[in-house]
Amino acid sequence: MELEHTIRQTLEQVAMIANCQLIDNITDDTVLLQSGLDSLGFAMLVAQLEEDLGIDPFSQMQIAVYPRTFAEFVSVYRQALAGGNQNQ
Amino acid sequence: MSLLQRLQQTNYNTIAISAGADISYSQLIAQALQLRQQYPALQHQAIALSYTDLNTFTCALLAFDGWCSSLYLLPDNDLQLPEQVIRWPQNTTATTVTPTAEPTRWYLATSGTTGTPKWIAHSFTSLSRAAKTSAQSTALRWALCYQPTRFAGLQVLLQSLLSGAVITDCSSSDTQQRINLMQQHTITAISATPSLWRQLLMTGQLSTLPLQQITLGGEIADQPLLDTLAALFPASRLLHIYASTEAGVGFAVADKHAGFPVSWLNQCHSDLFLKIDANQHLWLKPPQLPDTRLASAVDSDGYLDSGDLVAIVQDRVIFLGRASGVINVGGNKVHPEQVEQVLLQHPAVHQAKVYGKTSSVLGQLVIADIVADSSNDSKTLQVLLLQHCQQQLERYQWPARFNIVSNLATNATGKLSRKADVKEAHE
Repeated sequence: MELEHTIRQTLEQVAMIANCQLIDNITDDTVLLQSGLDSLGFAMLVAQLEEDLGIDPFSQMQIAVYPRTFAEFVSVYRQALAGGNQNQ
Repeated sequence: MSLLQRLQQTNYNTIAISAGADISYSQLIAQALQLRQQYPALQHQAIALSYTDLNTFTCALLAFDGWCSSLYLLPDNDLQLPEQVIRWPQNTTATTVTPTAEPTRWYLATSGTTGTPKWIAHSFTSLSRAAKTSAQSTALRWALCYQPTRFAGLQVLLQSLLSGAVITDCSSSDTQQRINLMQQHTITAISATPSLWRQLLMTGQLSTLPLQQITLGGEIADQPLLDTLAALFPASRLLHIYASTEAGVGFAVADKHAGFPVSWLNQCHSDLFLKIDANQHLWLKPPQLPDTRLASAVDSDGYLDSGDLVAIVQDRVIFLGRASGVINVGGNKVHPEQVEQVLLQHPAVHQAKVYGKTSSVLGQLVIADIVADSSNDSKTLQVLLLQHCQQQLERYQWPARFNIVSNLATNATGKLSRKADVKEAHE
């Protein structure tokens, strides 16, 4: 839950910087491309999360995975963080 | 031979443009001939075309190539034109000119090295050199995802027309709408920037398209994206394109690997010679220079500096970015100097350095390091600078982050050191 909270907070913050109007209620099933965040906002979100969490799962993938929904997005980070810890 | 003559000669008996109503090749030719009759005064004149819709634009290209002396393709209406150029269709008052038998010159705008766009002349022959015709390419259904007034979009349009394929305008700011259009028109061929491919993948619906031809261009194509697309469409042709608008040439890489083979250096490939200098710049030698004004930029062996930084990694030549430090945000070029000038207009900013940071989503993002006075805390300053940038700059030029720093490194001449972030771009 803590990870999801961080991602939600960063999302709000980035939406402000990118001047994007987020939809009111972002749930697990919200399609990212319909959340109000455009491609620039999405790029900023991934960049800011790299600062906050120390990882960019999308740059580390051998075969890139492109999340469609908010839950899939969170799950990509959860898996990347878990994988990273195992390797260390 | 002009574009119209080429299409009259091939005489395709099929649909050329799929829109609300389908337009066949023979209809296109008839409409173009009608346009020439409608505007006899434009013969031998220099005219400018902007993009409204695919049918009108394509007809105008067919009508006015081989009819007018010059075609300026306007990417936006604010761009300055030479004095004698007539804007079609708004203004069609012609001046008297001496007719010449020269082929039409096509002018395309490039962002130039300073951020001020400049016009580069091309010929239809040089622009159409890359177009391939085969039974397979004739059966394709292309999605137009770029503006056809720019080099990349024009290449897609010419490829589709010259091979007798069908093309549909699928440009939309909304990715879901794009995919819907592509599904509606059963698109089988797409040329797009890596950033746009990533967005199309994010819809989760790309695999519903029966893609046979996948082309990436306008940005550096990375291996994970190439692998993803190759895995999703194992039977389709997968190309990434390198193009230099200035040199008017490019080449395609078909082996599904990032960069291009080292073996292509110092020998002729796709009518082009390639070499790398001591500063890691890629130099190109086109069969002929598109614009005589470039002659002074050519070295004694006939090569032109592409301004692209490359590195040799094992048996590949890998692209690292622009030597000038120009930032490529999802295919949009951002000149750091321009953003710095805007930041320096803000009273709190003493020094500013703008550069690109690698982004797994858009290729690169704009980052600004700022030396500021201490009248605001960093949060407030960031908000103020954002508002300032939002008023003065295009969206893709906005810094994604402001780092407030105590000083900025300058080089021996007192200029901000602007060495391209080679290491980061490479990763």
